[in-house]
Amino acid sequence: MRRATRLAIVFLVACTVCGSANAESYDDPAARTRLTEFENGLRVLTLVDRTSPIVSFQSWVDVGSGDEGRFTGLAHLFEHMMFRGTENVPGDLRDRLLRERGSRGNAFTSNDFTVYFEDVSAEHLPLVIELEADRLANLIISPEVLDTERQVVLEERRFRTEDNPQGRLVEALLALSFVAHPYRRPTVGWMSDVEQVQVEQCVEFFDEYYVPGNIVVSIAGDFDEEATLGLLRRHLGRLPAAPKPARNPTLEPPQQGERRAQAHASVRGPLLGAAWHAPASGHADAEPLDLLSAILSAGFSSRLNRRLVYEEQEALYAYGGYWELKRAGLFYAAAGVRPGHSIERVEALIYEEIARLANEPPTPAELDRAKRQLEVALVSGLGTNHALASRNAEELLTFGRIRSLDERLQAFAAVTAEDVSRVARTYLTPEGRSVVHVVPAPEETP
Amino acid sequence: MNLARLLLAFGLVGILGGCALGGPPAWEQEAPPIRTGPVVDETRLHRGELSNGLTLLVFEDARLPLVTAGLTFRRGAGIESRDEAGVAGFMAELLTRGAGERTALELAEVVDSLGATLEAGAGWDTTSVQVAGLSRDLDSLFGLLGDAVLRPRFEASEAEKVRGELLAALEKARDEPRELARRAFAKALYPDHRYGLPQSGTPEVVAALGPDDAAAFHRRVFTPGNAILFAAGSAGYAEIEERAEAVFGAWEAGPIPEPAPAPPALAPAERRIVVVDRPDLGQAQIVIGHEGIGRTDPERLAAGLMVRVLGSSGFTSRLMGRVRAQEGLTYSIYAYLSMRRHPGPFGVSTFTRVAEVGRVVEIVLEELARMRDEPMTDAELDAVRRLSAGGFVLGLETSADVTGALVDLAAYGLPPDSLDTFRSRVSEIDLEQVTEAARRVLHPDRAAVVVVGPAEVLRPQLEPHGPVEVIQP
Repeated sequence: MRRATRLAIVFLVACTVCGSANAESYDDPAARTRLTEFENGLRVLTLVDRTSPIVSFQSWVDVGSGDEGRFTGLAHLFEHMMFRGTENVPGDLRDRLLRERGSRGNAFTSNDFTVYFEDVSAEHLPLVIELEADRLANLIISPEVLDTERQVVLEERRFRTEDNPQGRLVEALLALSFVAHPYRRPTVGWMSDVEQVQVEQCVEFFDEYYVPGNIVVSIAGDFDEEATLGLLRRHLGRLPAAPKPARNPTLEPPQQGERRAQAHASVRGPLLGAAWHAPASGHADAEPLDLLSAILSAGFSSRLNRRLVYEEQEALYAYGGYWELKRAGLFYAAAGVRPGHSIERVEALIYEEIARLANEPPTPAELDRAKRQLEVALVSGLGTNHALASRNAEELLTFGRIRSLDERLQAFAAVTAEDVSRVARTYLTPEGRSVVHVVPAPEETP
Repeated sequence: MNLARLLLAFGLVGILGGCALGGPPAWEQEAPPIRTGPVVDETRLHRGELSNGLTLLVFEDARLPLVTAGLTFRRGAGIESRDEAGVAGFMAELLTRGAGERTALELAEVVDSLGATLEAGAGWDTTSVQVAGLSRDLDSLFGLLGDAVLRPRFEASEAEKVRGELLAALEKARDEPRELARRAFAKALYPDHRYGLPQSGTPEVVAALGPDDAAAFHRRVFTPGNAILFAAGSAGYAEIEERAEAVFGAWEAGPIPEPAPAPPALAPAERRIVVVDRPDLGQAQIVIGHEGIGRTDPERLAAGLMVRVLGSSGFTSRLMGRVRAQEGLTYSIYAYLSMRRHPGPFGVSTFTRVAEVGRVVEIVLEELARMRDEPMTDAELDAVRRLSAGGFVLGLETSADVTGALVDLAAYGLPPDSLDTFRSRVSEIDLEQVTEAARRVLHPDRAAVVVVGPAEVLRPQLEPHGPVEVIQP
């Protein structure tokens, strides 16, 4: 017996009337986004935009390295396995079929999400949908393929981290900043874990996290919305419902003093990274922190570039920013020290600039400039179907809804200069920071 | 009901269910024929010319209230002599460091207060200056563009800062194994030609550059007859033409600089193996290759398809299939043709753990020989034609994409309708053409092999392929 599929259709973003006098009101394509929830819990976001004859199809799985248990790197290794064939579509057939149709696809894993995408001409969307349903239902995880893919991931890790000074900096800074929270783990995983993970753990991982209620499909571009929803319902709506996965409970305890570390690498120009704990996504201080980021880092005239790169000529680049994740956040500052210059001096200059903002609010002109920069960045981010589909899915998974552009601009407009100083004072404290220097080993002078 | 009947009943439900889904699965259906025909919406594209010879190219796009506008000049680092290597980039950087009535910081503050960007840069064959921002700021954006292009200050104090930045960046680039590989590869191919030096120049040259050098390069290259003014976004042709005339109309025409001499036809003439010694690395960077073809080469499409099958079609390429999917020896391997005014390199770029370098080099050389000696199959050719034609529109999604591609055609003097004809031209490439392209382009017997990693471990692995030169980073 087949039960009628219940569709929950909600128009997500109501066009809000822009109340602010100085912000422009934009036609936000997200306002036309439609959310459909299938009975098995899978959610679909559709946004029809006929500007160009292509479609971005994305599957966002609500699992990242921050959800891993015993084996680090599992979310990412599993992402690789999703490309290695099913009973119906074995080996690299899936990839060949899609490439033959000019599709451009890939996937990535972050601390919070695993994302698969295909950008393709509209007429090939049905194939993309059927292939997605097939691999979610019939994936093969064989020990032989897992062994090959593990070697690939180990090479990826050597490339991104072991032999990459920037990668070492990020890995060390996360491990130093988070002592408890799973965000301390590198997304690519530790070598030993990737070397030892087995089919059994992959299958468990798939069964727990790759369930309809934990997946959002987001489609944007030129396609027939009704027909596509019908196809999705038939192919993805049939996946069996399963309980929502449990999450790691650990929260980061307050930091009780500055932490410092060195990572050695054969570099002429040392690298500096500093990080402070900041709120997770959805906090009221997010907008002041974004504006603080822009004042420090956006554009040639931003404070860090101006002071460290342009005026004092101590760094090749210097920037800072608010990095918000679902369950914790960081504010970071990073700089590439000029060869032959002092990393201690660069570090001191960054703290000086932060202290200046903490003690004295930015000028009205500076604040307006930062607001305008964020406005243009938001609007520029609507320029491709891929970007639209990504934004919709990420907003839904992070905030439970899609925040409209006007809402975001009004939130920025409401931030005062004192708010910017306040968040600098509140979060960017000397005792709350973690600092990593990537420098040559003492005996080595490259 | 016995078990057999029960199973049959379920089976029938399954089959009926299958019928209800609309026939066989999509992956068993043949791919539709390659779509051909125009890809650029002619109603949104406008071309024109000012009386001083400046070409205008405008693509309207009302999707977002944004606009990008700029000028591309038909010469870049490629016309530098080896003794001038870096002056084009130096000049370009200085264009945004003070222009018209504004100092470097004043200019930056205006740009940033509009939420805009103002960028300049030199490639091998072009130098470009570009602004982007909200279309309601069109007048201000054109004012900034005009200042940077026509009235750069080239102040001594700024020149000194930029020189210091470029020198530090050149030095810092030596920390990157991939950059070391790229540099050593270029040097192995073109020891006496400009292409053998980094595009951004050499420390020896850059250290001696001053404002006069920048001004001289600017005079030489920045003339209206040598430029294409482009605009993409929420602005009509009339609006752009009016501002172009106001800002650039009085700009005096000048001679167009000659292109530089071509590099030697064979690069390298015989096998070279170079190891850049980095004892600290656990993973070696590898580049293998030789001269490729020029941007206007009549066989570029066939050669491009051949290189895609070899190593530039994602996971389906021969190299990716063998080195990554089958053997797990790397995370990334790709083949490329750097098509410039003159033939830039053809290369295969990858990395692997140091113990496997000999094996990877062997596979790459084998695959180059296989592509050259055994014809591609019909199925491979068909797949890559589809990939190339089918994916073509993906690269033209935004108005900036379309404009960029049209400016590129104009810069190389290629037919202006090349985007519209691309898919039909690709679909007509036959097996004979790709086979011929493979024979003409690939030369595994004399390919340069460049590896960055611990020389002591790498030397014995590479010696079977020829004498090994070890250099310091």
